[in-house]
Amino acid sequence: MAEIDMAVIKPEMMKPYIWLETSDGSIQQVEQEIAMYCPLICQEIIQKGMGSSKNCAICLPQRVSPSTLSLILDYCRFHQVPGRSNKERKSYDERFIRMDTKRLCELTSAADSLQLKPLVDLTSRALARIIEGKSPEEIREIFHLPDDLTEEEKLEPLKNTTDDPRIRLLNRLYAKKRKELKERERLKNVEVEEEHVDKRSVDDLLSFINGNDEDPKGIKTSKNKKKNRRKKEQQQKNSSLKETSEVNKEVNGQNIRHPNSEADRIAETSISNTEDVFAHKEFDDGDIDDGIDPALKEKIDREVEDFARRLNSDWPERMQELLSTGQERKTMLFTPNGNSFIRFDLKAPLPDNGLERRQRIVSLDYEADPDTYITFPFPVIPLA
Amino acid sequence: MGDVVGPDLISDLPQSIIESILVQLPIREAVRTSILSSKWRYKWASITQLEFDDKCVPFSNDREVVERSVVKFITTVLFLHQGPIHKFQITNWKLQNCPEIDQWILFLSRNNIKELVLELGEGEFFRIPSSLFNCRKLNRLELSRCELDPPHSFKGFLCLRSLNLHQVLISPDAVESLISRCPLLESLSLSYFDHLALTICAPNLKYLYLEGEFKDICLEDTPLLIEISIAMYMTDDIAEHFEQSSNCNFVKFFGGVPNLEKLVGLIYFTKYLSIGIDSVHISITYHNLETIELYQVNFEDTKEILVILHMITSSPNLKELQISGSSNIPVAVDAPDLDFWEKGCFSDSALNKLKIVKLSEMGGWRHEIEFIKYLLGRSPVLETLSIIPCVFDMENNLKMLIELVKCRRASSRAEVIFINE
Repeated sequence: MAEIDMAVIKPEMMKPYIWLETSDGSIQQVEQEIAMYCPLICQEIIQKGMGSSKNCAICLPQRVSPSTLSLILDYCRFHQVPGRSNKERKSYDERFIRMDTKRLCELTSAADSLQLKPLVDLTSRALARIIEGKSPEEIREIFHLPDDLTEEEKLEPLKNTTDDPRIRLLNRLYAKKRKELKERERLKNVEVEEEHVDKRSVDDLLSFINGNDEDPKGIKTSKNKKKNRRKKEQQQKNSSLKETSEVNKEVNGQNIRHPNSEADRIAETSISNTEDVFAHKEFDDGDIDDGIDPALKEKIDREVEDFARRLNSDWPERMQELLSTGQERKTMLFTPNGNSFIRFDLKAPLPDNGLERRQRIVSLDYEADPDTYITFPFPVIPLA
Repeated sequence: MGDVVGPDLISDLPQSIIESILVQLPIREAVRTSILSSKWRYKWASITQLEFDDKCVPFSNDREVVERSVVKFITTVLFLHQGPIHKFQITNWKLQNCPEIDQWILFLSRNNIKELVLELGEGEFFRIPSSLFNCRKLNRLELSRCELDPPHSFKGFLCLRSLNLHQVLISPDAVESLISRCPLLESLSLSYFDHLALTICAPNLKYLYLEGEFKDICLEDTPLLIEISIAMYMTDDIAEHFEQSSNCNFVKFFGGVPNLEKLVGLIYFTKYLSIGIDSVHISITYHNLETIELYQVNFEDTKEILVILHMITSSPNLKELQISGSSNIPVAVDAPDLDFWEKGCFSDSALNKLKIVKLSEMGGWRHEIEFIKYLLGRSPVLETLSIIPCVFDMENNLKMLIELVKCRRASSRAEVIFINE
């Protein structure tokens, strides 16, 4: 009796099982026909003959954890039955993918490593549905993505094509802002230099002119006047710049609220006006009257010329001095006819001794406004 | 509760999965993923399928504005894209004849394009540039509202499996040579063509869909054809041609399609087949033909009825039959020729596999009722016969019903369903 029972039961028990080893080292037994639904497992069984016993269990890829494996096997168990209708399969799939996002991602990864394409398609469609229609912040939150792009990177033209006028406007504002800041920096530097020009160069002069009977005041006044005027001009320009930039800000501020191409144009023209103002700076100064009457002007010119000659005659000795003190840094060399010189980098950081500053100052002096300033070849004599 | 920041769930998945996710998003959203994080910045740029539809740019009532923004969007996407593009699809009605499209096609031809779908708006038809014909790997081509003019030196698309031309201006010779030069062509669809006498030589063709004003359709070399769907419109020109024709279209048409499994004929197709049908004896058998659908059949014309009967009796494995009558009220005043049904050449054949019959637009005319009687009497395994009358004339319907009830049924399981809305 028992034997007959065994004979009856045996065919059921003969269903082949396959041994699978997951990433954590645990080994489990799975019905072969279910496991064969996964192409990778199928390959291992057929080509390499693995999985028939506990010892030669099929090592599943690392991305397949025990929990995801059981999910995958559920999927396979349902779908490998041939008689099911498409409708049944579809509704099973819909129910199957209802799980939290983390598990869904793990499942996708595992299905991909097992080459189970239908499941990969199903899960990636589910992930696409999660992403669709959500804002970037929401998506980052769901998938724990780091928000590590700079604002600038986010605003690059790449994005402009999808998030239109406001982003484009913002981008333009940023660019304008950067430009303004740059200009202001430059101005500041120039200003700083100019100020020093006015002050120091005169002191410089005075300190080297030993026992000079010349009335330096005349020069000083004229220089000071020029300095003041220059300052005034600068201030005017700065204020006008500030004005335009504020106008821009206003206009732009409005723009942020009401994206308007007209406002854009206004903002843009105002910037170009600022630029114009800058361009004119160089030329306007030449035309501005010194405010000194011509006779006095002539007198001053003559005095200056005298002084220049005197300096130039002293020049070689001064040069020696200079060289002997071992000052190798950034000296300005003027040739006797005075027009060529070596510039050095304006943007280099100002060292603490006033030396370099003075050197730089003079070059600027020369370079910026040859017409306004007294143009005689002016050797730089660094203080030791 | 504090911020739960776990490990990044998704960015490290293999590119193939990321691609399959991004491809299932609308293109706008896919591009937008570039601002999610630094890893995602260019993930979208290597997807191989780009589909631009009506929703890819914000809506505006001004067509020109939309067109410009679509053009800009597509150009930027293509410019920023890296790698091969296998599928490129534009189905945007606001986009019309723009010069940029030429450049896109040129770009795609250099990027191993495999599937190209261009469905543009109405307006001046876009003239397809010659760079399209350099797309050697083209597998599927679908064009709508374009002008196609293959150069003389064109040797054909050697990989093309699916061709769909809808409202495309192309000369008949060019179409025929295009078809015959694509040796792997499996699916062909031509719609909105006019005055075409078409000859099709496509040895691998399996699916054929034609719609337009065709004078003549000749399936010269299509032995593998499985499914045919043809809608033939009528013009005076074509009507004249029909009258003067001396061919037997039935034989000509069906001569070369032994593997046919499904046939769908619309509008004047049955009329087309009916020409010359009574003069010839037909002996072809279609063993695989399982579904026949014929629409706009004129039951007044006995020749058209002959067409149906020939078709049915030549298909021993026919399972499903759908016939739709024409909703014209019969003009003929004299009594319908009932001898036709008595003639008996069809009375001995049985429709042994016919299971489902759907008849619609039935006007209750004499021939229709005879036809139903014929079917009921010769289908031993029939399961459902559904009838949808076209005339909501209650009296007429009642007459039809009375006749139907009288019919003898060969199948004991047959359900006659009269759908009366």
